[in-house]
Amino acid sequence: MSRQDTDDRKSTDDRKSTDGPLQNGQRPGSERAQGGIDGEALVEIDGLTKIYDPGGADVLAVDGLDLDIGHNEFVCLLGPSGCGKSTVLECIAGYLGPTEGEVRVDGERVRDPDPSRGVVFQENRLFPWKTIGENARFGPQMRSAVDDDRIEELLGDTGLDGFEDAYPHELSGGMQQRAELVRLLANDPDIMLMDEPFSGLDAMTKELMQEMLLDIWEEESRTVLFITHDVEEAIFLADRVVVMTARPGEVKEVIDVDLERPREFDMVTTEEFTSYKERAIDLIHDEAERAMAQAEGQ
Amino acid sequence: MDASRWAKRATSIAGLLTAWFLLAAVGPELLPGPAATAASFAEQVQQSSYWDAVVASTVRVWMAFVIAAVLAVPIGLLIGWNAMVGDFVFPPLELLRSSPPIAWIAFTILVVPTATLGLPVIGIIEVENIVFIAFLGAFFPILLNTIEGVRGIDEEFSRAAASLGAASWQTFRHVIYPGALPSIHTGMIVGMGLAWVNLVAAEMTGVGGLGFLTWSAFTGGSYPVIIVGMVSIGALGYLSSAIVRRAGISQIPWQETQAA
Repeated sequence: MSRQDTDDRKSTDDRKSTDGPLQNGQRPGSERAQGGIDGEALVEIDGLTKIYDPGGADVLAVDGLDLDIGHNEFVCLLGPSGCGKSTVLECIAGYLGPTEGEVRVDGERVRDPDPSRGVVFQENRLFPWKTIGENARFGPQMRSAVDDDRIEELLGDTGLDGFEDAYPHELSGGMQQRAELVRLLANDPDIMLMDEPFSGLDAMTKELMQEMLLDIWEEESRTVLFITHDVEEAIFLADRVVVMTARPGEVKEVIDVDLERPREFDMVTTEEFTSYKERAIDLIHDEAERAMAQAEGQ
Repeated sequence: MDASRWAKRATSIAGLLTAWFLLAAVGPELLPGPAATAASFAEQVQQSSYWDAVVASTVRVWMAFVIAAVLAVPIGLLIGWNAMVGDFVFPPLELLRSSPPIAWIAFTILVVPTATLGLPVIGIIEVENIVFIAFLGAFFPILLNTIEGVRGIDEEFSRAAASLGAASWQTFRHVIYPGALPSIHTGMIVGMGLAWVNLVAAEMTGVGGLGFLTWSAFTGGSYPVIIVGMVSIGALGYLSSAIVRRAGISQIPWQETQAA
């Protein structure tokens, strides 16, 4: 329990120290928001269809989904559980091949996992047999290109300095998620694919993690695809919220979120934020009902 | 562990000794009591034949265990990791496993030669054919636990490794092997126990060691020596398992430690 306490305090202190320079520095946020629309897309998904075959009964998970994600864009995929959000992510990551359609990243068709496409998993997938430091070095170590200064900087930025020699199970949930983020960033991916990474955290830790993620995203040029079923989280984080239908997953509507950056958590009570939220809730409500009916029918 | 638990354990062992004492006093005429056994033990430890038997059994069991581990772990990792290797290698092993090691004793004594191995550093060692029986006891639990260990690793760890740029062999080295270690460790503890079980049975056929010491005490009618043999085998078995357990725990420091 005392670990958890230090954890929270640490991250709050840390935030104060890193927030300052960020707020004063340039904010390329508005540029980024348009990046996806004007610029050339980093990720192009054309007619993605995925049929699962669990024991003969074909299940259509995703049906002809089209989506482009621009360079340095922050896109949230929002949808009810079981709508095929994770399937889309797994196809971009290269874990699954599409049944029909195509996923291209940087113009190249995705066939296998690649370090340019980093993944953060819902339940953290730090290697339990490696220390936090070893986990953080894992990606660069595979290419024999470990940059210790960079690792230390990342661990410091996320309030994990001093925990290098700890094993993942010795850390709180929030710290584990931060360590997984460090492991990903140390590998310098072009796109970060995040599958409900904060859904297992308590509300307070979740808010802090969201702010930390935005800090990192605003500081370094990154493209993020973030999956969530949490409407508020999606609007708070994203340049664009892609609302998905219940299974089979398709794009129901795309919401451009023009909230100014950097975003702070008190923003969620503003009128502007609330109107985005109402719109998203309206869109997702019918889909959630359909998803629930599907689940009960099974 | 706290003192009260030790006290409880000591009490229960004292209870066993008391029951033995009472049973020997009132029970079957031929059952030696603790005192007679202790006297016999004191006598045995002064004889070189006893120590020869101790050394013979210990060397055999460790040879069997080490050879089993060296073969079973890599084979198990490959079978668990690669479905094609599994399909080719596993079925014949399953067939061989269907006969318990003790059923192999006659075959082993007649057919399996005593092997001479030239090893780097260690030099030339002779592996008696009887070691094969103990080897069979250790090999299969280590193999099966290794395979299970690999198959029990969540696929997302391999995916995470691939997305961080690990090549296939790097995933094997950094995910599959360490991920399977806890289960390999369990297999080794079980394997060491079964190596003893099967060795003792095999030794009773007349090839020396503590198994033979115990069996010849039976044919010679020296009842306290039978119990000395039983206790010696038990103590050495316990010690061997403790060594394997300890050595294993040092290899998996990331596991939350459990009480011994």
